[in-house]
Amino acid sequence: MKLATHYNRASIVITVVVLIAGAMIYYFAIRQITRNQLDREIAEEIAERVDYVNRNGKIPKNDFDDNLTEFVKINDANFPTRFFDTVYVSAPGKTPENGRAAAALITVDGQHYKVIITESYAGINNLVQIITLITTVLLIVLLLVLLITNKFILTNLWQPFYSILHELKIFNVADPKILPSRPNRVDEFNELNTAVQIMASRVKNDYQHLKQFTENASHEMMTPLAVITTKLDTLIQDESLNAGQYEQINDIYSAAGKLSRLNQSLLLLVKIENKLVNDEELLNLQLLIIQKLQQFKELIATKDITIVDVLKEKKVIASKSLIDILLNNLFSNAIRHNIEHGKLLVTLTNEKLVFQNPGTAKPLDANTLFERFQKGLNSDGIGLGLTIVKNICQLYRWDITYNHQGLLHSFEIVFNKDIETVVKK
Amino acid sequence: MKLLIIEDEKSLRDNIFNYFNEEGNVCESCSYLAAAIEKLSAYKYDCVLLDIGLPDGDGFGVLDYLRDNNRSEAVLIISAKNSLSDKILGLNTGADDYITKPFHLAELKARVVATYRRKTFSTNNKLVFNEIAVNLLGRTVLVNNTPVILTRKEYDMLLYFIANKGKVISKTAIAEHMWGDEMDMHDNFDFIYTHIKNLRKKLLDAQCADYIKSIYGIGYKFMAE
Repeated sequence: MKLATHYNRASIVITVVVLIAGAMIYYFAIRQITRNQLDREIAEEIAERVDYVNRNGKIPKNDFDDNLTEFVKINDANFPTRFFDTVYVSAPGKTPENGRAAAALITVDGQHYKVIITESYAGINNLVQIITLITTVLLIVLLLVLLITNKFILTNLWQPFYSILHELKIFNVADPKILPSRPNRVDEFNELNTAVQIMASRVKNDYQHLKQFTENASHEMMTPLAVITTKLDTLIQDESLNAGQYEQINDIYSAAGKLSRLNQSLLLLVKIENKLVNDEELLNLQLLIIQKLQQFKELIATKDITIVDVLKEKKVIASKSLIDILLNNLFSNAIRHNIEHGKLLVTLTNEKLVFQNPGTAKPLDANTLFERFQKGLNSDGIGLGLTIVKNICQLYRWDITYNHQGLLHSFEIVFNKDIETVVKK
Repeated sequence: MKLLIIEDEKSLRDNIFNYFNEEGNVCESCSYLAAAIEKLSAYKYDCVLLDIGLPDGDGFGVLDYLRDNNRSEAVLIISAKNSLSDKILGLNTGADDYITKPFHLAELKARVVATYRRKTFSTNNKLVFNEIAVNLLGRTVLVNNTPVILTRKEYDMLLYFIANKGKVISKTAIAEHMWGDEMDMHDNFDFIYTHIKNLRKKLLDAQCADYIKSIYGIGYKFMAE
């Protein structure tokens, strides 16, 4: 639920409660006041009756006004004046209504009379109606005003918050662009903006340092590797070495080569992940695959692998170096894990590129297959090949999946539709 | 050929120095940018091997110096960075080739020889090794004046061997030279053997002496007995 909704809900509940409570207090207060007023009027009426009796020495025959006046003979001389609510009938045939009455003692010629005067509550009833009406109107107007102000003022007031939120949502740690400063009338938002800016620049700084560190570390490793390689190159010039020693040297060569490839792969991954490879061009994938097949000819021949290729014309927009690496990795993978005298099926259509090769009967774990440093049991690779393939596919928003059927392992790349339409245009 | 090796890593510098320092070559080396400029201002060289990352500044300064003084030295950049932008910058600033660490000395030698050859191409487009004559322009090979038809790979391999004559070359180095290091050979070098066998057979058939000597367990050596 949005902040404005929360706020609206709370303010509406509070407004309604306060208004109703106010109306009730108002009602009781008015009621008390009017009752006192009525009591005073009735007291005056009684005083008038007493006055009349004192002057004329008899009970008035007819009442002077609408007030219902009743005279009852009583014997008690100590009857106190009292006020009370009552139900009375103003005229014969009329419905009974609420009224206020007072009873007092009048003495005429030694005879005690109880005089009861009743007045209607009708005035008060009107008052209640008016109060209810005013309160209701007030309630509606207030709610409308509240909703409108909340809608406009709140939205406007929170605008900086939403723009900061948007900045955070699209925040890309690899993007060197600094978050924009947004001066605002609201101190809290200024503070938030500054805090976010500081945090973002710190994160970016750290990230840059880390990236630089990775790059530098990888580059720094290249020189010692060059020393190892060239030392070995120099060492083998000594022809008095025996076969066993040569074997050791070969192992060192191979380890140094592996280390260097590992380093280069890590650097490449950093580059792809940070989208630093941006030399996209229109490539003829069919032609590139044919060239790759040529390049891998010897390797394919040593394992006596039969190539079954169905290649349709297909153009993609991508970096040539990355596609080269992608094909290299898929081909070496399909050759490396192939069986002797096996087959290598390469299928290229407008929609997809599929590499299939027979291998072990046990399927590879599709969940971890593309993870870094995940390699097969008898793989002597460095475990980054498929990660790189996956990352290149991700970069171009292609979909890569692994399937296993019987002995056949297959990798399928489904090209993105967007890129196709771009190519067609 | 007179060479200047500018490299700050001592053991690497010494290795390159020793590999190149043979009959017919004069090598000099230094490890700082300032020393390199000093040497270049005093002497002329045929080829400069330039490490880009030097302790007192980057090696592009050497390229700027050579260009500003209209010098004709062939320059081969040795860089720890396999980055396209660096490569382009280097080649645009006047370098002739770019090699990434780690490399094999045989590869470096082949590149240096090729670079030097390209620089002096107008006067020297024929490579002669005893009875083998290579026409670099037409990419043809004559043995005792008889043409020998070589495949592209065999031709490349022959040039590579001649550039590294007298040196033992490991199979790893040959494989990387012929197929590039990204192809990942998994230490299976059987197919190199096929190519070498064919090259050797073609040369022998043309009455050429057997220069390709197999060093068991490690690689090959191209040498006149």
